Amino acid sequence: MKIVIVNYGMGNIYSIQNALKFLGFASEYSDDPAKISNADKIILPGVGSYRKAMQNIISKDLKNPIKEAVEKKGNPILGICLGMQLLGISSTEDGYTKGLGLFDGIVERFDEKCNLKIPHIGYNEVMPASNSVLFQSIKENPDFYFVHSYRMMSPIENGITTCNYGENFIAAFEQNNVFGTQFHPEKSQTNGLILLKNFLSV
Amino acid sequence: MLSRNFRLQKVGNLDWIENNYNFENIAFSIDELIILNVNRNGRNLIEFSKTIAKLISNVFVPVAVGGGVTSMEYAKTLFMSGADKIIINSILTENPYLVKELVREYGSQSVIASIDYNIDKKEILAYRNNGINPINYNFTDYITYIQKLGVGEVYLNSIQKDGTGQGYSMDIIGPYLNLFKVPVILAGGAGNSKHLIEASHNPGVDAVATANLFNFIGQALPNSRRDMQEEGIHMANFLPLKKVKQPV
Repeated sequence: MKIVIVNYGMGNIYSIQNALKFLGFASEYSDDPAKISNADKIILPGVGSYRKAMQNIISKDLKNPIKEAVEKKGNPILGICLGMQLLGISSTEDGYTKGLGLFDGIVERFDEKCNLKIPHIGYNEVMPASNSVLFQSIKENPDFYFVHSYRMMSPIENGITTCNYGENFIAAFEQNNVFGTQFHPEKSQTNGLILLKNFLSV
Repeated sequence: MLSRNFRLQKVGNLDWIENNYNFENIAFSIDELIILNVNRNGRNLIEFSKTIAKLISNVFVPVAVGGGVTSMEYAKTLFMSGADKIIINSILTENPYLVKELVREYGSQSVIASIDYNIDKKEILAYRNNGINPINYNFTDYITYIQKLGVGEVYLNSIQKDGTGQGYSMDIIGPYLNLFKVPVILAGGAGNSKHLIEASHNPGVDAVATANLFNFIGQALPNSRRDMQEEGIHMANFLPLKKVKQPV
């Protein structure tokens, strides 16, 4: 199985690879469009600014290879944190930026009216979607590590895992071969390791 | 690696940790790992970053690294070694432009401001340069100042209590906790689970840290975690490690 972690210059390059290695899977960190479109599994990581991330993806010519692999070949993709947000339609971070459009969700800043500390940092419980593939064999309301100031909302109801931080937002989604987690599975101890393993078993 | 029990005390290098502790056991009992380079006689960045990479290769919680961050390049090396966040102190006042640049480049969630505080002539003061030099700010103003720089978290360390195991200095820092709009990690002084529990009950405290070696011996960390949960403190529940090893 060829697992490619998309390298577009955003985020912690080692932790995901270390986690996969711990689970016994080799992976490659690459910005090669051909490798990405031929990958059996794609992981889109990311920490940082949405606008800059999309600029990097476009300037490295990675947008079409990702979309081709996911939409035409049906290969599974997992977006993590900013990577999940990029799978959506758009974000209002640093002005309006269009995402990859693989999932019907839009990203906006947490509602300041909730009067909670932003960024939302730390472990929080999530409510897994019913019949979730990602959360298979993970107990009810598991905790995962979050660190973000923007969150995704979606009109879609199926396959949505939610978390509450002043308001309900999307903690994870799964729709056919498109998966995303707002939290960091590679930073969520055993819970996250099992989730990654579930994704690799899709 | 240094133990901070009863003053700074050298205990051994990385191999020492591996031989004396079940680090995997430690790593699976915590929510976050903080690694501070407290070397006062010049810091070797290359050596330090290698140590980090080795130490955290099987650690799957967020890792914050600090000590001697004085340039973008230095920070980059730490991030490239696997740090998720960097902890800064002296540059908060010595080079605020660098702080803003770090926040712009890596995001506020990746930059933690460390405040080493102590009481000097009945007045609370923040210190820089490994706790040596006082910062000439009124403490309240300093708290406002560092938050304006855009840092995403604050690591509050009591110089007086650090390494004593006598408990956090809540009497001193308590009145200032409501001034923080970003999450607060309380450090310096924890010696047992009671200390961790007491501090966690304070609504101004978002996380508690311990560097006390006694807390790492045997089952002390997993036990503290259990004690905290029994006291009604919300702690993340993790599945047993052996479940990860099983086939799906």
